Order: sequence, then structure tokens, then C-alpha cells
Amino acid sequence: MLNTSLNKSLQMLFALLVLAIGISLVMPNAYAADGQSSKQQAAKTSDADLWRAVKAGEPGYTTDTSLEANVLINKAGNQGKELRNTYLKPAIVLAVFGVFGAFLMFYFVNGPSKLSHGFSGKMVARWSKADLWLHWVLAISCLILMLTGIFIMLGRHFIAPYVGEGLWAGIIATSKFIHDWSGPIFIVSWLMCVIKWMPLQTFKLYDLKWFLVVGGYINFGPFKGKHPDSGFANAGEKMWFWTLVIFGLMISISGLMLVLPNLDLPREASIVALLVHGVSATILIAFTIVHIWMATVLSEGGMDCMVTGYCDENWAIQHHNLWYDEIKANGSLKYKD
Amino acid sequence: MAVMKFLCDTKRCIECNGCVTACKNENDSALEWGIQRRRVVTLNDGLPGEASISVACMHCTDAPCMAVCPADCFYRTEDGIVLHDKDTCIGCGYCFYACPFGAPQFPKKTAFGSRGKMDKCTFCAGGPEENHSDAERQKYGANRIAEGKLPMCAELCATKALLAGDAGVVSDIYRQRMASRGNPNVIWGYNPKTGEMI
Repeated sequence: MLNTSLNKSLQMLFALLVLAIGISLVMPNAYAADGQSSKQQAAKTSDADLWRAVKAGEPGYTTDTSLEANVLINKAGNQGKELRNTYLKPAIVLAVFGVFGAFLMFYFVNGPSKLSHGFSGKMVARWSKADLWLHWVLAISCLILMLTGIFIMLGRHFIAPYVGEGLWAGIIATSKFIHDWSGPIFIVSWLMCVIKWMPLQTFKLYDLKWFLVVGGYINFGPFKGKHPDSGFANAGEKMWFWTLVIFGLMISISGLMLVLPNLDLPREASIVALLVHGVSATILIAFTIVHIWMATVLSEGGMDCMVTGYCDENWAIQHHNLWYDEIKANGSLKYKD
Repeated sequence: MAVMKFLCDTKRCIECNGCVTACKNENDSALEWGIQRRRVVTLNDGLPGEASISVACMHCTDAPCMAVCPADCFYRTEDGIVLHDKDTCIGCGYCFYACPFGAPQFPKKTAFGSRGKMDKCTFCAGGPEENHSDAERQKYGANRIAEGKLPMCAELCATKALLAGDAGVVSDIYRQRMASRGNPNVIWGYNPKTGEMI
């Protein structure tokens, strides 16, 4: 009894959330359905009108107790499938290869962003041990989810044709299992990161100027040698943080909707969740590739921060001058022993 | 080859659910508790213009389940029947979202995606296993097509409302019926006023 009512209220909650997320997607359908059924109210005698109503999702009576068994035809899922196959699948491919390729090109043209005064050798504390742990748990669960997610969405096109049926069945079943169980790890670590790091990520006026000189990473033209002001996090990092907040929330909610069949969601909600999940994944994958490029290759000395928790003093001065000035002024600057 | 289709004549269907029972019984070996592959839906129940229709997998020519499946476990037989491989199915539920007719069913509802292997109407054509093997019977139920027979639901339909078979033959039968019904006084091919058989 309690279980059923809990399920019902959870179901309502998720349905409402998904309505808010996917409102633009379902609006045209909802209008069409309304038009159909009100027309149907007027005349139910004609056969043509009856079948028009059935096609628009008019429910009937049935002894079958399974989910939505009384609805003969529900077109929503098929429309969602069309969107997924026509737009989302190419979008994911573009997010992976397009963004990676664009950054590769940029790297060859521009080269890395070097420290203008070289390494000082003095290391300044930037991240605590807890921050490092959180970051890497989130990062690893995220990468696993992305890889298995890509297998689930595109594996049938780029793996299945080249391996045997049995091996493919193993790959896809394992992908789904790992995807389902990495989800909770991602959600917990994502939530902790968001809460812990949010105070450092509020937008400031000087962040606008950061965008005007493209962060100071460009080594040619009028932007060459510019080092815009930035606090603990620069404007680009803040943008990545807030993207992760918004789309991390969407991907978590839609993921839970997909992985908990007990919610007995209507098919409209499920297919919208699937689409929201895919759109969020595309955006997060694109940003993750940018993030990894920036940290490993493009910004000299950037990777040290997340490996040791310490950054080079010159790196701090060049890339996070306001933060450096602040910790120097208030005495919280700590060097590595 | 043939293109197999179901057609339910709503002017004949009397909502007896005989097709549901026939299907359950014939495919019993593969059906877990609570799963029925076919159902009867009545529109305008108890009102003028009431119409009942028996529905299961429609074996679509452009099947949404086949297009959406991440495991790519669906296939089409040379008779145009849409079947799936339960060994490859991962129980994600996408086919249930995409199917307009609500045909795919899942035996379990455990959290974290353990819905079990999807089950749906096979047009009594079994699955990818060897015809009439034990494995086929356990996973998919009957294989009447291999015996040259039509699905049990349609074969047992008392009013012959539910037709199954090659699309051309089925639609010919239905067209003939429609032509006979052109006379509004005719009931079941017999005019009670004139006694004329049509």
C-alpha cells in the first residue's frame, strides 16, 4: 500500500520534472492530441472519427492490467525514436570527433599556452586531498558512463557488424550493466563536487573581459600575450562548472527515470527522458573533451594541479592572478614542503 | 514471399478474449506470470458505436522497435515477421517506449534496469533457435509457422474477426466482407427481410 502510493507520488514528481525539461519537445504533440480528442467528443458515431481518435491515443477498456494497455496507439515513442536516430546519433559522433578534431587543429596552429616566465619550481597549494579524490571519482565514473553510453547508443553501428552475435551480446549487456551501476557513483560524486565547489564558481565582472581575449590562450594576432584577470577559477572553468551543474542534473534525473522501471512512467515521459539523456550526454561529452585538452596539452602546468593538488607559483600568477594576490594578501598561501 | 499481417475486424470482434487465452495457452512455455502477448481493447465501451479490437505485435514493415534497439536484437523473417533474439536482448525497455501498440512486455521490474528479457508476439513463429527445439519452446513458445499453420489466436477466433496470414489474402477477405456489408439490411451475409443470401 505505502509502496504503491510512494511509487505514485515519485511517478508524479518525475513526470512533472520531465515536463519542465522537455516542454518544448512535447508541446506540439500535446496540442495535436488535444485538438483530436475534442473533435472526437463532438462526433463519435462516424468510423473515420473513431479511428482518428484511436490514432491520437484515445484510451478504451481492457482487462489487461499492464502499463497503458488500454491505449491502442501511442505515437509519441516513435516520434522520439525518429528524433533520436536522425539527430542525436550524428550529434554524438560530431561531439566526439568534431570537438576533438577542432582542438587538434587549434593545437597545431596555435601551440600550447606556455608560462611566460617558465616554471618557478615553487609549488602553491590549490586543491585539498578531498578535492582530488572527488574530482577523480567523478572523472572516472563520467568517462566510464560516456564510453558505455556511446556503446549503447552507437555500438550497433560500429561494433555489432564486425564481431560475432555472441560477443556482441556480451559487449552490449556488459555496457548496460556498467552504465547502470556507474550512474549512482556519478550522481553522488557530482552532487558533492557541485556543493563543495559552487562558492568558487560565481560569475564576476572580470569574467566578461576573460571572454573578450579568449582566455589569453591564443598565441597570435591581437590576443597574443594577454593574461586576463581571473580568480580561483577562470571564466572558462566557470562555464564548464555550470554546464556540468545543469546538464549533470538533467542527465541524472533522466537516467533515474530510465533505470527504475518501477516508476511505471508513461511512454511519453520515458522517451522524453531518453532524449534529454542523449542531449545532455552530447553536451557533456563535448565539454569533457575540451576540459581534457585544456588540462593535459593546452595549458602548460595545468595538469599538475589535479595530480598533486599544488600548482606552480608562476602558473598561479599568470592564470589566476586575483586568487594568487588574495591568498598572498590574507596569508593563506601555502607552499609545498 | 508472403508478408504476414494481423487484421482485426471490429464489426465481428465480440470482446470474448478467446485470442488472448489461445495465445497464452499456445505459448505457455515461454510466458512468465503476468505477461500476455495479446490484449483486447474496447472503444466506446457500452456506448453506441462500441468497437473491440484485438491487438498484439503488428509486425510492422518499418518497425520502431527494430530501429530503436541498442542491442540490435530484432530481425525480420522472410515472411515479414518481426522476431527478436532473447540472448542479445538487454532489457533496456526502449522498444516498449517506441512501439505505438505497446506490444513489448518485460517480465521483471527490478531497479537498475533488470527488466528481464523482452517478450512479444512472435506470430507463432518461434525465434532464432532451431525450429521446435527445446530452447525455442522455452524462450519463444510455439512455432506454428514452421508447421505450415497460422497463429493460434486467429485460428481459434470464434467469430473470425481476427485474421492472420499473407497481407494480400487477408485484405481480400476483408474487402469481400466490406462489399457484402454494403447493404445496411444485411446481417452476417443474410437479409432477414427478403431471406436472400449474399
